[in-house]
Amino acid sequence: MNENFANEFERELRRRLRPVEAPEGFAERLMAALPPEKKSTVVAFIPKASRPVRQFGVPAALAASLLGAVLFGMHVANERVIEEQKGIAASQQLMQALRVTSQKLDLAYEAVNNPPTAGDEENRS
Amino acid sequence: MNARVAYVIAALLLAGPTFAQTKGQLQLPEFAALAEKASETVNVTLDANLLRMACRFLNADADPEQAAAKKLCTGLTGIYVRHYTFDTDYAYPKGDIDGVRRQLNAPGWSRIVEARSKKENTNVDVFLLLNGDKAQGLSIIASEPREFTIVNVVGSIDLEQIHELEGKFGVPNLEIETGKKPAPAKPPAPEKTPEKAR
Repeated sequence: MNENFANEFERELRRRLRPVEAPEGFAERLMAALPPEKKSTVVAFIPKASRPVRQFGVPAALAASLLGAVLFGMHVANERVIEEQKGIAASQQLMQALRVTSQKLDLAYEAVNNPPTAGDEENRS
Repeated sequence: MNARVAYVIAALLLAGPTFAQTKGQLQLPEFAALAEKASETVNVTLDANLLRMACRFLNADADPEQAAAKKLCTGLTGIYVRHYTFDTDYAYPKGDIDGVRRQLNAPGWSRIVEARSKKENTNVDVFLLLNGDKAQGLSIIASEPREFTIVNVVGSIDLEQIHELEGKFGVPNLEIETGKKPAPAKPPAPEKTPEKAR
């Protein structure tokens, strides 16, 4: 019984799945029923700005602040060197000025203290 | 009305530099012509800022001269020195010196030393700007046949400290604070020490 049923089912399946010729004008009707073909459009790819910023934002900020700190440090060091050079030059000038001052005070002292000798006209006060 | 305002503004603008000048500071000429003729030139212009900076960079621990200078310069607001040495006699115009000397006729300035040596053709004048019993300026005009020097020290000058410079810069004891004249004709003393000065 079961065997007969299986054979019958297989026969029916083969009958139904056999290749059948398409009716006349089927291909034309099918093509006519399809929507018209859309023209392809060019879409520009705009990368999202937020993505790289999110990705490199922190390292870039760190690098920028590090660079800024280095540049500022260099500037401060340079200023300090210039100020030191100025200060040393000024202190040398001060010492030179005091030496000239003392030389001239010494000259005044000598002139005041040396008594006039005979024939030497001097005016001291 | 507008003309009056313009006059006032002009007067203020002209008077500005005069007010800006520190008391005791002399108007020293440029002496550009002298500098060209001179064989040796010392031109020191230290205003209050530069003087402060100079004081900061003096090494008081290593050098007694610098220690004395540091002590002296704290009260000063300016040091101006023009010193020229020439190869020939009297290569400098006397008019330049007289111009500076005239400024020292202003009230407040007192000549404490006037030394004229015809033998050595040396003239030295030492002036002090006194405010009460305090010296606020020191000026020296010294002319020798081949040398010409103007020194202008501005600020509160402690005469005691100038005495302390004795033996350091060769500063002699002028006894300027007592008004006494130095004792005449004494044998050359050995190098003085700061203790002696006090």
